[in-house]
Order: sequence, then C-alpha cells, then structure tokens
Amino acid sequence: MPENRSGVRDLVIIGGGHNGLVTAFYLAKAGFKPLVLERRAQVGGAAITDEFHPGFHCSTLAHTAGPIRADIVRDMQLEKHGLRLITPETCVTALSPDGRALSLYQDENKSAQSIAAFSQKDAAKYPEFEKSLGKISKVIAEALATTPPDIDHPSGGDMWSMLKTGRALRNLGKRDMYRVLRWGPMAVADLVAEYFETELLRAVIAARGIFGTFLGPWSAGSSLQLLIRAAGDSHPAGSAFFAAGGMGALTQAMASAAKAAGVEIRTSAEVIEIRVKDSAATGVLLGTGEEISAKAVISNADPKRTLLKLTDPTHLSPDFVQKLQHFRGNGTVAKVNLALSGLPTFTALKNADTNALKGRVHIGPEIDYLERAFDESKYGNFSRQPYLEATIPSLTDPTLAPDGKHVMSIYMQYAPYKLKGDWEDQRKALGQTVVQTIAQYAPNLPEMILTHQIITPLDLEEVYGLTGGQIFHGDLALDQFFTMRPLLDWARYRTPIENLYLCGSGTHPGAGLSGGSGANAAREILKLLKK
Amino acid sequence: MANAYDVIVIGGGHNGLVNAAYLARAGKKVLVLERRHILGGAACTEEVFPGFKFSVCSYVVSLLRPEIIRDLDLPRHGLEILPLDGTFTPMPSGDYLWRVNDHGKTHREIARHSRVDAEAYDEFGKAMQAMCRFVKPILSMVPPDPNTLNPRELMKLLFIGRRFQGMSSNDKYNQVQLMTMSAIDFLDQWFETDVLKATMSASGIIGTFLGVRSPGTAYVLLHHYMGEIDGAFRAWGFARGGTGAISNAIADAAREAGVEIRTLAAIAKIIVKDGKAKGVVLTNGDEIYADTISSSVDPRLTFNKFIEAEHLPADFLEDINRFKYRGSSGKVNMALDALPNFKAIPGPGAHLRGAISISPSVEYMEKAYDDAKYGNFSRRPYIDMVIPSLTDPSVAPPGKHVLSCFVQYAPYKLRPGLNWDDQKEAFGDTVVNTIAEYAPNIKDIILHKQVITPLDLEREWGLSEGNIFQGELSLEQLFFLRPAPGYARFRTPIQNLYMCGSATHPGGGIMGAPGRLAALEMLKDSKGAV
Repeated sequence: MPENRSGVRDLVIIGGGHNGLVTAFYLAKAGFKPLVLERRAQVGGAAITDEFHPGFHCSTLAHTAGPIRADIVRDMQLEKHGLRLITPETCVTALSPDGRALSLYQDENKSAQSIAAFSQKDAAKYPEFEKSLGKISKVIAEALATTPPDIDHPSGGDMWSMLKTGRALRNLGKRDMYRVLRWGPMAVADLVAEYFETELLRAVIAARGIFGTFLGPWSAGSSLQLLIRAAGDSHPAGSAFFAAGGMGALTQAMASAAKAAGVEIRTSAEVIEIRVKDSAATGVLLGTGEEISAKAVISNADPKRTLLKLTDPTHLSPDFVQKLQHFRGNGTVAKVNLALSGLPTFTALKNADTNALKGRVHIGPEIDYLERAFDESKYGNFSRQPYLEATIPSLTDPTLAPDGKHVMSIYMQYAPYKLKGDWEDQRKALGQTVVQTIAQYAPNLPEMILTHQIITPLDLEEVYGLTGGQIFHGDLALDQFFTMRPLLDWARYRTPIENLYLCGSGTHPGAGLSGGSGANAAREILKLLKK
Repeated sequence: MANAYDVIVIGGGHNGLVNAAYLARAGKKVLVLERRHILGGAACTEEVFPGFKFSVCSYVVSLLRPEIIRDLDLPRHGLEILPLDGTFTPMPSGDYLWRVNDHGKTHREIARHSRVDAEAYDEFGKAMQAMCRFVKPILSMVPPDPNTLNPRELMKLLFIGRRFQGMSSNDKYNQVQLMTMSAIDFLDQWFETDVLKATMSASGIIGTFLGVRSPGTAYVLLHHYMGEIDGAFRAWGFARGGTGAISNAIADAAREAGVEIRTLAAIAKIIVKDGKAKGVVLTNGDEIYADTISSSVDPRLTFNKFIEAEHLPADFLEDINRFKYRGSSGKVNMALDALPNFKAIPGPGAHLRGAISISPSVEYMEKAYDDAKYGNFSRRPYIDMVIPSLTDPSVAPPGKHVLSCFVQYAPYKLRPGLNWDDQKEAFGDTVVNTIAEYAPNIKDIILHKQVITPLDLEREWGLSEGNIFQGELSLEQLFFLRPAPGYARFRTPIQNLYMCGSATHPGGGIMGAPGRLAALEMLKDSKGAV
C-alpha cells in the first residue's frame, strides 16, 4: 500500500516514458516503492497508441520498438503483461523512382536473393557485411549495457568493465577490431560504399546512420549511429519490431509489470519543479500545488528540461549550466499519421504484394537524395524531397483499423526544429510534402486519406515534452555519446544535485526504444541508494 | 655484395629531404630521387612568369617542427621566415573582420562586432593553447598499435591516457569536443559573430572533403594555435624566396650531411624479392640498389604503382585501396600589375600583408561545400589569399606583385560529364569573379594567371586525386589508422621498405614530422639488424 502522499516517499520518478517505467520496475524489484508521476493522461511518453480517427489506432510517435532489450522483456515478463511483439519476415522495403523495390528480410539468404536482382556483387557482399556487423554489434552492445567509466577517478569496477570491453574488442580479431575503430567516426555513406554498389541498398542501410539525427549520410560519425542501432538489432538495414496494439501496448505492459512489482503510477500529475535544499533534491512540486517529498528524485525527462527548467539553475554551477545549454538537441524529425480507406497500391510492388509492406517502407533511393534532404535543413527549411520511413501496422495487426481500412505511420526527415518561419504556418505544407512524396510511389494514396495527424518538431516539444523536438532527448553524436552523454563527467546517471538522477534517453546509451538507459540508470542508482 | 647506398629516398619533397637528412646525419649513405626538375614537392618556388616567383602549391608555413629547424640548423642553410600578420576577412556588406597578432588591436576589432566575443576570444585562445600542450607530444610520437600487446606500445597508450587524466576537467571537456565536433558546433559555443565563426572555421576544412559543419573538423582549429616559428607561438609566415626556400634549406642541410640528390629521376618500380625491398628501377631503365627504401610519395603511388600486388598481403592492399584522397582544393596564382583594392578597406595597407580570407559567413562556407558534394566546384568558393611580394620584394619585379589564392572546394571527382581540363578556365574565372566582388579592380591588374586544378596536382606533383595532405585528414585516417591500420608506424608489409610522407602520422602541412619520425624508426630497426 503506497505511503500517505503527505509523507516522505522513498523514490519519485518524473515521467512515465519507457525508460522511467523500466527504472521504476528494477528499483521496485530491489525493494523500493517508486512513485511515477506522468504529466499526460497516459503513460508511455513517446511510445503510445492513440485513436486519432474513430476506429483508427496508431503508434502516435515511435512506430517500431528499438528493439527493446531482450533481458528487459524477460525481467519484466512483458509477454505475461500483455505484450505481443510482431516481427514480420520482411524487415524493410526500399522503393526506387524507377519503379523497382528492394526488400530485405530476416533471412539472410532471402535478402541476398532480392539484392541479386540489382547486383550479383552486392548479393555476395551482403552476408559478409551482416557477419562483420553482427560480430561488432555484440561488442558495442556490451559497451552500451555498461555504465560509462568515471573519467577522473575510475573505480575498480570501471577499470574492470573497460578491460572487459577492451578484451571483447581484441577478441573480435585484428580486422574487425580495426573496423570498429575505423567505422565509428566515419561517414555512413563511405561505409556502405565500401561494401555495396547499388544506390538503393546503400541508401536503405545508410538511413540507419542518420535517423533522428542532425546528420546527413556524408556527415562524419553517422556510422556510429548505425553501430549503436546495430547493437540492439544487427540486421544491416534494421528489422521491424511492432507491438500488437501499437507501441502504446509496449509501455502499457511495462506499466502493468511495474505496478505488479510495487510501483505506484499517477497520470495527469505534472511536475513543475524539483525541490532542492542545500544542493540536494528533497522532492517535487506538482502543477496542482501538491508537494511530494522524496528521498531521491529520478528524472525520465531530458537533461535540459530536468536541470534547466524543472530545477532552479541557481543550484548549479554556471559552468555546468553553460555546458548543458550547449548539449545539442535540435530535432529533425516530424511524424505524419494517416487513416486510410484502403491499402494504397505501390507501383513498384507487382500483383499487390502486401508482404513487402508488412515491415518498414523506406523512401530515399540514393545517398545524394538523403544528403540533399539534409542540406535543406541546415538552412532552416524542411526537406521538399524528404527521407521517409513509413509503416502500415494494420497489415500485421488488423485491430488497429476497421475492416479493409488501414493506418499509415510515417517518419519524415528532415524537419528542423529551428525553422525559417513558423511551424504552425508550415504544418499543412509539411503534410502535403509527405503525401506527395509517397504518391510518387503509390499514386492512389491521396484519395484514400480519411484524416492526417501531423506532428511537427514543435509539437514534439510542446505536447510530448521533448526539448528541441529531439526524439533521443539530445543529438546522438560522437561528442554526446558514452562518457559524454549528456556531459563529460556526468554520464553516470548522477547530477550535480544530490539525490537527483537521470534515467532517460539523454543518458548513455540513449538510442531509441531499447530501455537501455532506464536499466543502466536503475543499476547505478541502486548502488548509490544502498550506500 | 654491398650496395652503393644504405638508403634510397623516393621523392624530394620536404618530408623526403628531412628523412634523408636525419638518416645521413646518423651515418647512412643516402640517395634522394626526385621526379621533377626541382626539389620540394608541393613546397616549391617556381618562376612561373618571368620575374614572378610563386610558392606554387603550399604557400604559408607554421607547423614546421622546431626540433627539425634546430637539428638541421636550417637558418644557417638560408631559411628565413617572414611574419604573416593577421587575417583580413572582407564582407559583402562592405564591413570586414581584421584579426592581427597584436592582442589589443584584435580585441578592439572583434569588440566592434561583439563585446562578448572579444572577451570569449581571449578565453578561446587560452583554451586552445592548453589543448595544444596535450596534442603536441602526440604529433612527435610514433603511433602505438592498439592491436599489439607489446608493453612499450601499451605504455604509450597509457601515457596518452595519463596526460588526458592530468588535464583539468574543462580541458578534458574541450579536448573530447575538439576531437569529435564540427568546427561550427564547437565555435557556436564560444562566439556569436557569424563572420568570426566562418573565418575561424575555415582552418578546419583546408585540404579536406568536409564542410565546416562536418564532425571532426573542430580538431584542425588547433593547428592554427600550434603554429610555432623560432618558438614564437602561433605565428604564421612566409619563407623568404617562397616555400621552395624551405625545401632548399633542408636539401642544403641534407647535402652537407652527405646526402646525394638527383632530380629528373622518376621511379618506375620498386624492386622486391622474396618479401624484401632491394632497390628501384628508374623510368630510364637504370636500376639502383640499396639496403633500405624510404618512400615519401603517397600510398597509391608506392603500393599500387611501384609494387606488384602479388608482393602485398590482401588485407593490406584492401586498406590501401580504401585510403581516401579526394582532393578538394585548387590553387590560382596571379601576377599583378598593382595591388588589389578592397571595398572594405580601400587602398594599400597592412591588411594586405597578412592572409586575406574570403569566408564571409558560415552559410557561405557550407554552401561552398554543398556544391562540391555533388561534383561541382564551388560557385562561390572559400579563398585564402596572400600577397608575399609585400613582405618579400624578391619574388616580383619592382612595383608588381604576386597573389597566391588557395581555393576550396574544387573536388577531384567532378560530376559525370565534366572533366577538369574543360573546367579549368571556368574555375579560374570563378575565383577572379569571387575576388572581384570584394576587390573590383582585380580584373584590371592581372598580368598572368596560373590555374592549378586537383588534376594538375595529381599529374604534376604526384598527389593522388590532388589531395595536398597525401590523404584526407579525417578521424578514421589519423594516428594509428594512418595510412592503414597496423601500418601506422612507417613500416610496411615489405621488409626494408618504409613510408615517410604526409600519408603517415601526423600528416600533412609543411611539418616535416613524418620524415623525421620515420628516420628515427628506420635507424632503430637498422641497429636491431646489426
């Protein structure tokens, strides 16, 4: 039974996003009684499902799981709590303007076959690339699951885990070890060109290196993004992981698992201030004026929101504040969700092969196409020929839409948060651009649209609380990764304020819907709480 | 049988000559073979037009390692560096930014644009110098091989780690940012004045196929603070008589140490027998044998042109073939009848004595890069100009001047359908037209114009794909990855064959460090051999 609200809670967690729920679960398992406070009416943060049109349900923001880390699924027994993952055999289908389509599958040989239709050479190279990526990603995964070492005073544990990672690196063997060192800082466009000659194949793999970032395929370091994503899912172009009922079902299962473990969750409970006394967090203040005091406060919100908005910066050193202000996080992604009266016909897919559409659909046929899309955003315009990742989840999960009808969920890039002009005025134009771009591949799409839901980077900030509209809580870049996420010396889920911790994507490893940050944070916070 | 020479050095560029000089001073009998009629490689002075002497390619000096100047006693051999004072950046608005070595002046000038930036500029300088203290020892260090278990190598990694540990947490923060960020992201944290950021960021992209917004470009900002001449911190300068004078001074020192130097001696191939380098064959058929071969030319020439593939391990060849060159710059040298007259500061004056940088805004710089990404030379390129004749009258007839323009971006690979021989003239015109927007009289005062495209750099100076650093200075091609993982220590898979050019650590610029470090490693090995 939760303690009296006026009494002192042991743990308050700000934000019921997937990482917040994961952290809450592990802390409850360890015997604490965390209280999760969610600003919105439903938990889930960016992993939610909404009925955006009568009878039409869609993953409002994230539309595929990161994928969620297997050990977390296991520990939380998410299946038992109602999670059903759908992993279609088709991972991604890349469309080209010349009316061809390239599908990549879970099965390596099947992928190689469809690549062979474009290039025998690439088909031969593909398994080699998948193999290297597979080996390397295991090592990266290890690094992502560890807490970044303390730079100034590495503890014995730090040394050990560094040693372990170092050993794992060496065990890759000379070639693959050098690959990791070489690939990290490379432009993903160069990486894919080292293996493949087919532009469509290059582009669909390179897309993993730029998704959600303010990088183009020619930006150095975009390969690192690919490696980080590969750590959770070593499929070269990325698999497709859906949750039955949409991404909201994933976080609902997490919430139910957390509750079962003893977590209390309150929705429509917006924290407007983190109370600090003598540079130690003492609790939170809600919008309603309610005060909740706690022994420790853990924030699932992004670092800037947590420390510059919810906390009175006077509790922080000017130096720290300045550095945090420089933590880059200007979003580049917009989201468009469509309710459709039927399934659009893609000219590239002969005899209406719906299997090809069951995974992700990639639009961005060439490296240069992706780079040009990026170019526009550098100067404050959204891409007129954008890179799109679309999914039609109703194909694999009919419960999402009425019979014969469908929902299409589309990530659009690049939509710069810092726009020349005003997002409100350009919202419509953005939607049109997305629809027209897809219509080039599926001409009958426009007449099937029953409704649009258009989510701009500004909406991501204002409605969903993602500062700068950055879906990863801050750019994933070489200089904001590992021991530098969010800041060098502050990558260990602690903050300069006693008893105030971070557990969101703004901390290591931070990429996508993996729960990694939440799990790492819980482990570190436990150590500290037990002291 | 004993060979006539202990060492043959391929290429008489500054690194080849430095390499030879150090070897000879250690008692080796050294022969340097240079393909062209003059020495210096890209560090050469040529009288392209009667009476006008040009530093044809490389045109300023700053990074030449002080230990080399000392060891080889270069001043005695005629090296004289004349200071290059400041950078003048004219803007389309008619305004300008003019930074000079005089601290007070620069402070006032920047304050004219932004008081905050004027303060930040000093802080920035201090921070950069702290960074330099960390990076410098690495420049004169043989890269450790992370794959080895050799304790001495691991100590080196530890040494770097310790030095990093030793820094204040602010310096650490700056250091990791410098190694990973884009020049603009980095400068954005310090400054608000667009033109200041633009013109500073320019040093981050010189010679690379990256834009000022590309991660990894921040690091090169350091080089501007690392410059050191006669110990004078961050001074940039000309060599009296042009950059060729530097090469000549080194050549002089080398000859004095007993080095034999032949020009017009082009290599056809390197003789390899059962995994060992034995000598070279010249294009004229001569065969010359030596115990050791040291190549100062880039890996493509050394391993793809001079050596048959069968002598090289597949892995190594794969890495060498993958090494990126991607020249991105050209050069336009002009003989002038008079001085250019800038709208921003009319008439002659000290502003013409330093570098004149056409880098008016961050967007200008980034757009110049965008053009290049798709295989075009920049419609409005970044141009770094100097007028050496103002400082060193010996390079032009009285009253006349030489103008040297370093131009970026000029991508070696133009988009399909274009080739450099056809584009050469248009490229030269673009440069003149760009300058004319800031100094309208330029068109009337040009007596002669020499346009050097990346293709020319490859054909005439043997720089593959016209890369002035013998290979891109991008993160994945630095330190123990330069030029190939596992071969960053000047040795090659072929016994007795070494690399000593800019394609090895620490890379390009008139630094001489690769030539010296390679020599020291070669001497180590030869002792071991005895």
